[in-house]
Amino acid sequence: MIGLISYLVFFLSGAMILAIAVLGLNLQWGNTGIFNGGVAAFFGAGAYALIILGGPDRPGELGGFSLSYPLAILGGIIVSGVLALVVGIVTARLRHDYLAIATFGVAIALESLVRNAEYLFGGAKGVRGFQRPLEAAIADPFTYSLMFLGLVIVCLLGVYIGLERLVRSPFGRLLRAIREDETAARALGKSPANVRLQSFVLGAMIMGLAGGLYATFYAFVSPQDIRPILTFQIWAMLIVGGAGNNKGAIIGTLIVWGGWVASGWALAKFAPADWQLYTGTIQYILIGLVIVLTLLARPRGLFPEELTVSTATGPDGPVKPPERGTVSTGGQQS
Amino acid sequence: MNRTGFFALPALAVGTLIMAGSPAAAQDCTTKIGAVLPTSVDWGRPIAETAQYAVDLFNEAGGVKGCKVEMILRDTQVDPKVGVDAAKALVDLEKVPLLLGAVSSGVSMPILTSVTVPSNVMQMSCCSSSTAFTGVAEEGKTKGLWFRTFATTRNQAAVAAMLIRDKGYKNVAILYKNDDWGQDIGKLVAADLEKIGVKVTANVAINDGQPSFRAEVTEVLKTKPEALYLAIYPAEGAAVVREWVSLGGTQKMVVANSLRSDEFRDAVGLKYLGDVVGHDSAPPRTDAATSFVDLYKAKFNSEPNGPGLPNIFDAVMISLLAMEAAPELKGDQIAAQVAKVTDPAGMAVFPNVDGLKAAKAALAEGKSLSYTGGTGAVKFDKNGDVSAPAVGWTFSEGGTSEQTYFTLSDVDGFIASISK
Amino acid sequence: MIQSLFDGILVGAILSLGAIGLTMMMHILRFANFSHAELLTVGAYVALVFDAVFSALVPAFATKWGSLSLTAALAVATLLSIAITGATAVAADRLIFKRLRENAGPLTMVFASFGVALVMRNVISLLFGLQTMHYSNDIAFAMVISLDPLLLIKPDQFFVLILALTAMAALHLVMTRTPLGFALRAISENPPLAQANGINLKRMVTITWMIGGGLAALAGVFYALTNQISPIMGRDLVLSLFAATIVGGIGSVPGAFIGGFVVGLASSLALLVIPSGYNPALPFMIILITLYFRPFGLFGEER
Repeated sequence: MIGLISYLVFFLSGAMILAIAVLGLNLQWGNTGIFNGGVAAFFGAGAYALIILGGPDRPGELGGFSLSYPLAILGGIIVSGVLALVVGIVTARLRHDYLAIATFGVAIALESLVRNAEYLFGGAKGVRGFQRPLEAAIADPFTYSLMFLGLVIVCLLGVYIGLERLVRSPFGRLLRAIREDETAARALGKSPANVRLQSFVLGAMIMGLAGGLYATFYAFVSPQDIRPILTFQIWAMLIVGGAGNNKGAIIGTLIVWGGWVASGWALAKFAPADWQLYTGTIQYILIGLVIVLTLLARPRGLFPEELTVSTATGPDGPVKPPERGTVSTGGQQS
Repeated sequence: MNRTGFFALPALAVGTLIMAGSPAAAQDCTTKIGAVLPTSVDWGRPIAETAQYAVDLFNEAGGVKGCKVEMILRDTQVDPKVGVDAAKALVDLEKVPLLLGAVSSGVSMPILTSVTVPSNVMQMSCCSSSTAFTGVAEEGKTKGLWFRTFATTRNQAAVAAMLIRDKGYKNVAILYKNDDWGQDIGKLVAADLEKIGVKVTANVAINDGQPSFRAEVTEVLKTKPEALYLAIYPAEGAAVVREWVSLGGTQKMVVANSLRSDEFRDAVGLKYLGDVVGHDSAPPRTDAATSFVDLYKAKFNSEPNGPGLPNIFDAVMISLLAMEAAPELKGDQIAAQVAKVTDPAGMAVFPNVDGLKAAKAALAEGKSLSYTGGTGAVKFDKNGDVSAPAVGWTFSEGGTSEQTYFTLSDVDGFIASISK
Repeated sequence: MIQSLFDGILVGAILSLGAIGLTMMMHILRFANFSHAELLTVGAYVALVFDAVFSALVPAFATKWGSLSLTAALAVATLLSIAITGATAVAADRLIFKRLRENAGPLTMVFASFGVALVMRNVISLLFGLQTMHYSNDIAFAMVISLDPLLLIKPDQFFVLILALTAMAALHLVMTRTPLGFALRAISENPPLAQANGINLKRMVTITWMIGGGLAALAGVFYALTNQISPIMGRDLVLSLFAATIVGGIGSVPGAFIGGFVVGLASSLALLVIPSGYNPALPFMIILITLYFRPFGLFGEER
């Protein structure tokens, strides 16, 4: 029993960290319509910055700042924000798929950088291991994981409440206005570019926080942690949960990540012995099927966006959110 | 969703399967151990297969403390999050005192930090090569729970340099896998070669999952090396070497143990690999019937194929022997026995059924063992690292054949001679 | 330098071939289909099976054409593979994408396509194993065009270049000069209006998947012929294909053709200036720069 609780505490810590990143993405995509394909970059920036700022000296590599933990995690958030600011300015004119592939490129570039620049970021072997705040003071590992889960939940609630307030504020309405019709928003004297940038940077900082907590959890980060699969996982959580809905984002995380690891567990436990070598492959098939079937059953996610704008809906009830995402250009034929 | 239905059916099937096909009827207890390995990756699956084979052999010899060993295998997907979660589930839900894996250092390290050391579980990896482990072990952070049967990259690099020196090559280009092992060995080999006066014309990283390696190959070709040194895995290795040969590059190559693989040999073709010599940890210098290669051939009808197979085999055997020797199946107690079963002064043990039976009898009498398996007489240092004697090998019709043997003192002597 | 230039173009030709199908699908079906790359894998494996069958049945079919690695067996197998892969694509549409198209946003379709890709890739690896394979284990040697500066070209790659050029020209002509092309474009511009004009939406969508799947099979076979076959070949190619498509501008067939070269040249020439470890990032940096100046790709237009 204690084993099950211990595992659940551990699982929830990981899942809630991912949920924070999903909330950040929900601000960018769900509320503002920014197609960020580089989640892993901002997550990774937070994780690396935390370890480098807060960790001990590594001979021959960047580091040794030994900042206190709160400062280090704040540093991670700021680094992610600054990265997002630069990326946001460079990609200001891009929309939809074009923005997605450009931000995706940023994530690949960051992975390449940390993988190769050993003197800065430790190279492929990653950075550190074993340096968790207060671990020496709290001898019992289970108490420690409970404490850590508490910290993660506090962060998650903080982000959740902050975002809920934000989307209901005039700024939140502005975000959705820009998402729905940029031209109209501009006509009302708003600056869509500026607001989009703000939302992008804020969302990235939230991802940076998630990355920082992730690196705290493992006391380690390597290029393997920020491969494109992470971006895919975070997106799948948001889409399955329901874009535009913060509650959906959190529940989507639990479902996708829970399904991801539970499928592996169930196969190891129940698949015949002869299949054990193939369970990894079968697990991928199950994950793929779960995503496809969930989306077929609930195309707008399990918890679709609640429209917070009370008035000015269409004559027959709430306006269905228009399609967004992929744009098709008119071709270049003349 | 009808969850009970989903789980109940396979459970039923497994239940009947176990009842019908249990080979060791006398053992009615089981001891669980955990393994987290990348079974969904081309080079990972044979490692898992070999681990299972080692467990089966051990069970044939009577299991651990009279109980059948059950290895619960989880896939890491080479994703640290997935690997760590799988490890935690094995430790908390299945209560395993021993965890085998992972392969990538980037997965093994977070498991060590956040799962095995806090939970007092012994962790033994076949293949994680990062120097970072030595660092954290030196600080005492691993609490002696960490081991790896992978000969240190320092040693492997020295053997590579010695092979190149013996071949008399003067200009060598290095191609390395762009992961922690490849970066490490690429750098070390380059440094060693410079020391012995061999010119390194190019030192090129080969990234995983690239659609084409043409650009890298062209880049190396321009430097006109006399020979290549390759520290890459079979799939990329085949792609790179096929491209290299098709562009008329030299067929003189020195390769790391990762390319000791049928897949690589068949994909490139033996006729282009005549001038290839590779390095690897040496199997014991004993009669053939007890060697890992023969055991492997008997089971799988081919030579050990691909990176890490003797290493995982030894990792399983040493861990299980240590479990046999441990008073209680707790991580620290098992880890404490590793030294006893890899004691150079102990009784030599070979990993076939008879050898294992003899070993268990000796342990029961309180004797220490010198386990001598796929990578030779393994001996861990205080950081859980091993150094092993090495062989040079060449490709042959049936697989590979040994060419030269380097004792540990040969290798150490070489390292000492170049670090002056 | 000159060799790197040629390498870039010849490697890029494969990407062009793959990207041409992708750009058309993205244009007409209006979503980024990540399972498109898995269709390349399907195509390569289907051809592998039939190649083996035909070579065994008709030994004369197994001889190579001139200095190409292509055999009659493989050519026939490829034709079959085009049909079967096209049918697979249509089946995926009927089972999954059709339902989503009716009541979900394009992003739901993007992530459903991720799921489909996972399923397809892993079913293939269950069937065929994880190891890499080749149509022929023989190594096709490059021809020395010039010794100083050294210039080597593989006939197979040159053939792929011609093939990509032909496919590009054919598809471009179909899209711009034929009633079918007009109908397809009308569907992509304004589906309700197109239907009001008597265009059968369902048929057009099926045709699009057929063409897209067929082109993917062709690209898959030729990638496999010049490189290798493995269950993850689609995954390895997918990013380069999207990159090529987007650099060219979504919906532009000539753009996709050029985009393939841009990506190929980027990774080939990159090694002249940066360490090879950074190679995977380079195509994307090129894209970032391209998009900075041309936000809708080289040949794309804002609607």
